[in-house]
Amino acid sequence: MTSPGTAIDSLNAALKCNIIPNQEYLLQGSVLDQYVEVLLHRLRGLCDNVDSGPESFHDHELYFVLRATNTGGPMVLPLRVRRALDVPDAPWQLRYVGQQELGDKNRPTVVRSSIDMACSSTIVEFLTELGCRVEFEYIARGYMFRKGRMKITVSKIFKMGNIANKSGEGVEPISQSYLVELSVLAPSGQDAIAEDMRIFAEQLRPLVQLEKIDYKRLGNLP
Amino acid sequence: MSYSVNISVEAPIENQIQEITYDGTEIYQPPLTLSESLAKFAQKIDFSKTGEVDIKKESGDLIDDNKSDSDSKDAFQSSLWPWDSARNKLRNAFQEVCVLADVLAIAKDKRYMVLDPVPQDPIETKPMVQIYARKKALAGAASVLLTGAERLKTSQNEAARNRAVPDFHIELLRLRQNWRLKKVSNTIIGDLSYRTAGSKFTQTGTFEVTKAEDDEKTNSPPSSPVPGGATPSKTNSALRVSIPSELQGVAYIEVLCQKDQEDLCSVNVNLLGSGPPASNPDMHWQQKLEAAQNVLFCKELFNQLAKEAVQLQAPIPHMVVGNQIMATVFPGIQLIIGLCHSTTGDKKPANAATSKTDHDHVLEHSLHQLLREVHHRNTHHPFPHPATGPLGPSKKRMLAGPMAADRYELLEMTKSETLLEQIIKQAQHFFMRLRTEYVLDTIAKEVKDPLISSHWNTLNSPTQSCVKINISTHGYDALCRTPLVIHVGEKSLKCICRDGKVMHMSYEPQELRDLIFCHINQHQILAVQALAKTMGWQFLANSNHLGTGAVEPLGNASSCLLASPTGDRIIAVRCEPQSGIQVSVAHSPRSDFFPSRLVTERKWEHLGGQFRDVRLEKMEGRNFLHKMELLMASLTSSS
Repeated sequence: MTSPGTAIDSLNAALKCNIIPNQEYLLQGSVLDQYVEVLLHRLRGLCDNVDSGPESFHDHELYFVLRATNTGGPMVLPLRVRRALDVPDAPWQLRYVGQQELGDKNRPTVVRSSIDMACSSTIVEFLTELGCRVEFEYIARGYMFRKGRMKITVSKIFKMGNIANKSGEGVEPISQSYLVELSVLAPSGQDAIAEDMRIFAEQLRPLVQLEKIDYKRLGNLP
Repeated sequence: MSYSVNISVEAPIENQIQEITYDGTEIYQPPLTLSESLAKFAQKIDFSKTGEVDIKKESGDLIDDNKSDSDSKDAFQSSLWPWDSARNKLRNAFQEVCVLADVLAIAKDKRYMVLDPVPQDPIETKPMVQIYARKKALAGAASVLLTGAERLKTSQNEAARNRAVPDFHIELLRLRQNWRLKKVSNTIIGDLSYRTAGSKFTQTGTFEVTKAEDDEKTNSPPSSPVPGGATPSKTNSALRVSIPSELQGVAYIEVLCQKDQEDLCSVNVNLLGSGPPASNPDMHWQQKLEAAQNVLFCKELFNQLAKEAVQLQAPIPHMVVGNQIMATVFPGIQLIIGLCHSTTGDKKPANAATSKTDHDHVLEHSLHQLLREVHHRNTHHPFPHPATGPLGPSKKRMLAGPMAADRYELLEMTKSETLLEQIIKQAQHFFMRLRTEYVLDTIAKEVKDPLISSHWNTLNSPTQSCVKINISTHGYDALCRTPLVIHVGEKSLKCICRDGKVMHMSYEPQELRDLIFCHINQHQILAVQALAKTMGWQFLANSNHLGTGAVEPLGNASSCLLASPTGDRIIAVRCEPQSGIQVSVAHSPRSDFFPSRLVTERKWEHLGGQFRDVRLEKMEGRNFLHKMELLMASLTSSS
């Protein structure tokens, strides 16, 4: 066996080989409550592992923002911390999601840089010490499926209710629909996966129309 | 004479003549301009008769009256403005609408006016009438459907009766229900590999589906289906599947555990071709496809095992020869895994009987299960919790970051056991279990005095079993019992003795035998002590590892000293694992005491005499403890 080398060397080597998934390809859509059963049935048939049922998840996400005023203008760094409420010993997830890449208009999916890392529960303290503030938080509950590299989540977003009952009874949903997301985490440069995602999204029409959302236009809504 | 006459066609005069002057010219009324003609039409609109709105007779009459009034007014004022009537009508309508809007606005506010429904008289329903009506309607619909179904059924039955062979399309439907089919240009291609179940084997398992043609039958018209008269065993089927040549036939994996052969070449490829029955070329397509799938699975399994056998570093290297893998389980015992694939019906009678009986079905099934587990792990990756995590890493891997796993831990995570290692472990455990059983059964047959009973746990794993042994004497089970627990592993045994000591033994059966004999030895001494307590005898001393006497070849001798209730008799028991038990008795007041010059007083006769051996084999009694009980009973004096 060759000598280990330092950690930085291996990290640099990994970055050069382009195996770290640091980009997310994303398509989003929504479906009304009354039709979500049909959608789940169809996804169950289309996705891998028909024999085991859909995997459910129950997560709590906090959105932190670090604001700084530099010479160039006010800088805002958004960070997301997500933890699983149904699996208490799973590690917490810290996520940075970048802006949507402005590229080719014909690209079928949203491409944005995304860096995920697992961390312990002390991350909240750490970020508050750094100066981040919690902008908002929510609870997401739903099912996830996979097909090859693609991950499909069907989730309902709930407002955080009373802090005392986190078990899920006091929360109220923010809408009467489910959010459907089709995403792939891949290293940069693998654009062929976007085409596969678009083809898969076609199979879910007309139940749900997964498309790329322009986030800038969403900012104008009241 | 025909002249061509010019005929001129003129349209009649449209405009009315207003005036004819004296010189004959006609002055026409100028035609109505657009606005004038529109005004004329507007006058003709009767607002009371527009649309499908039901107007109540009274209001209709009122409007008519109004119209007639306005008409009469118009007649006087027609010169005023032709649009007047239209304007008035519209104004009235507008007024009505405004009033309605105001009323609705006020009613919506609900402060000054509220709209309440007028209670309607409930419509009298006669339920029985309704039921009868519905029943009649349903009966009518049902009869229509039934006649249709009858017609379809009769046509289907006729069609089925007319042909002996089922329809090609129905067969295709059945095929499609069990296998994955795809249409590629003109041909139907199917896939029987385990690829979608997680297999990564490179050999494809595609087959082709065609219509069955009766080309081997002469004298039969081409359109008729295959008759079933010639060979009664032939199954009639409208479709035929063509399987690639390397997957034809029947295959299975043969697993043998055998002792060392002097000539390794004797265990050769004779195993091939024996065992699996000949494949009938006219088998139904389902059996053909299943057999082909099994062949593919066995090939993948053997391929994987052969690769591992070559790559693994074992103390005694594994050998791969042709279709066989030879692995050493224990020194002197080998595990032979062979791929038996018979393509046609040739049967080799030689070696068929022996290999059939030796073939270990359990291990073959284990191999199948292990490969299926590998497939399962390839497809069922764990889902990330929380949901935004990356797909793929196992739970341990996800925790490695936050929990600061070091390099060694990460390397350990990547290591996994190969199939061959796992099956060797299972074979080793199988042998260990067999040997332990043999040892225990032999001892139980040999040793009758304390009874050895062994209870094997029903729940065990392919690599670990457990047996509980009880050593007890017949008739004295409640008195003393020595329990032992033996955990049988892959290459070693772990014994937990009655005092809590844990002994680890290797795979040699002699070690277990020696241990059991030592325990029997201990049991006898303990049983004698327990018996003494019940008989009222006092327990003076005991030693589990006696240092006196000859050196024992196995273990140590143990002994105990017992005194009778009155103290006048002493029994000494010495128990040896190999040689058996010796019992001696002594009397307390010496019968042979003579005062000598050194020892003068009489009282010294109570110190106890010589020990005299008891001949146990001449004594009455079923077993040692019974004999001891009788001895103690006889030596207990009543005074």
